[in-house]
Amino acid sequence: MVSLDYVAVQTINALFYSSILFLVASGLSLIYGIMRILNLAHGAFYMVGAYLAYTVIILWASGSTLYFLVAPLVALAALAALGVGVERGLIRPLYGKPEELQLLATYALILVFDDLVKMLWGAEYKSFTVLAGGSLRIGRFTVPHYFVAVILVGFAVAGLLWLVFSKTMLGKQMRATAHNPEIAAALGVNTDRVFVAAFALGAALAGLAGAVAAPILTAYPGMGTEIIVLSFAVIVIGGMGSITGSLVGSLIVGFARTLMAATYPIMEIALIYIIMAAVLLVKPVGLFGREERERR
Amino acid sequence: MRVRLEDVWVRLGGIDVLKSVSLEVGDGVSVALVGRNGAGKTTTLRTIMGILKPYRGRVEVAVDGRTYEASRMKPYHVAALGIGYVPQGRMIFPDLTVEENLEVARGGPVPEDLLEWIYSIMPELKKIRGRLGIHLSGGEQQMLAVARALVRNPRILLLDEPLEGLAPKIVASLTQALAEIRDSGVSLLITESGNLKRVRKLVDKAYGIDRGEIIYEGDPHKMLEDPVARRRIWGL
Ligand SMILES: Nc1ncnc2c1ncn2[C@@H]1O[C@H](COP(=O)(O)OP(=O)(O)OP(=O)(O)O)[C@@H](O)[C@H]1O
Ligand SMILES: [Mg+2]
Repeated sequence: MVSLDYVAVQTINALFYSSILFLVASGLSLIYGIMRILNLAHGAFYMVGAYLAYTVIILWASGSTLYFLVAPLVALAALAALGVGVERGLIRPLYGKPEELQLLATYALILVFDDLVKMLWGAEYKSFTVLAGGSLRIGRFTVPHYFVAVILVGFAVAGLLWLVFSKTMLGKQMRATAHNPEIAAALGVNTDRVFVAAFALGAALAGLAGAVAAPILTAYPGMGTEIIVLSFAVIVIGGMGSITGSLVGSLIVGFARTLMAATYPIMEIALIYIIMAAVLLVKPVGLFGREERERR
Repeated sequence: MRVRLEDVWVRLGGIDVLKSVSLEVGDGVSVALVGRNGAGKTTTLRTIMGILKPYRGRVEVAVDGRTYEASRMKPYHVAALGIGYVPQGRMIFPDLTVEENLEVARGGPVPEDLLEWIYSIMPELKKIRGRLGIHLSGGEQQMLAVARALVRNPRILLLDEPLEGLAPKIVASLTQALAEIRDSGVSLLITESGNLKRVRKLVDKAYGIDRGEIIYEGDPHKMLEDPVARRRIWGL
């Protein structure tokens, strides 16, 4: 018989993982939804966020509790700036160009960032489980408060994104642009600004994800590829371009993975692909996806 | 304010879709652009908005004593000069409400007096201002598309087949609304694919377009008698 405390702890694990996935996948989905660019380098942004957290926590703060707040904020700001640079320098010239070029360019970015990380931080795993803040007792188990904090960050970001999209002018312009960039521009919406804002926001969320994940999941070159594969699964399940879809997809993938890891680890990734295939069969655009807008 | 196309050539998919198009609208002169399906009407409007770039010729916008070359500008800068665009097929943003559609086009809250003026011309819109675009009827969508093009106080309004596919009653009230907009000092450029009669009373001048070429320019009331226009547009 599975005990209740065990279930509770596994639920927290699943929610923790879902939260990280949501932060990465929602940005990926946002960028795709607005500019129709599949940013393969999104995982690299996550990785850079993780290494920045390592730098802040270990090298600057030498493990002080302050890292809780400072590292994610540094990653958020740095990756937003990096996002602006990448959109301006690399992505913007590729709008309307063949998809292969976009994939090639963002793939090239992965290689660049992987090498940069190795040059700056070295190739070995950076493990820094500095869990200040104590832990929670659940029956026979203890769960670090940190897990709960990360879960709350995930839900807070989901709420904030909802607010941005439903209440702010930029959010409404993003929704209009996602639906039809050409008409939005012809009506006076500065779509170039919308694009750069969406890209920077997506990159910032990936950086935030990396920064909050790193103390638990460690930082290593190639971590971006691992998260990006699962994030693709999330947005295929939830639907490209839908924030609600990213949230639901993250929860599905997070729980499926945790369930399998605890019961039948060999099937850990397989189950996710089975769910993905099932969704594709029943609803090809994903649970919360919209029909593709016409291509011009 | 005046828009002038001069010897404009546009190529799409390797084909010349506009061939030396010259046309003028503005300074109080409203015009119709009449041509059959595929003649190049939408392409002309998209070129004026700066969405498509001519490979030869130019699109000039004269406003307040200055001249801008729209063919070198971003569409949102062309719009900001004071050109409103009502695209073919309405293209309402489906997951935004009526008022959000207006706000997005304005780039902020629409001033109260302007909103009241728009609602006074198209009172139907006021009743549905909180409704999502996806839930509007064809007539409501068309009125919203016109309203959305008015929120930046344009001096010129480009309307791409605004009466297409609407019930006669709605055609009548929309025509009335367009007449009021014109009488407030906005110059109209209306495209129409066959039924010249229903836009004739709104304009001072008509252009005929066929296969990317302007084949008639003149009095809208004499166009139906013009042999070239009769043959190339109406097949008579
Ligand atoms: N992206 C494109 N690539 C190739 N050809 C195009 C493209 N867009 C339009 N065309 C062609 O250009 C010509 C003019 O099209 P346009 O849409 O301007 O016609 P229209 O007068 O607006 O017709 P309608 O009354 O059907 O709206 C058509 O023959 C069309 O097939
Ligand atoms: Mg057309």
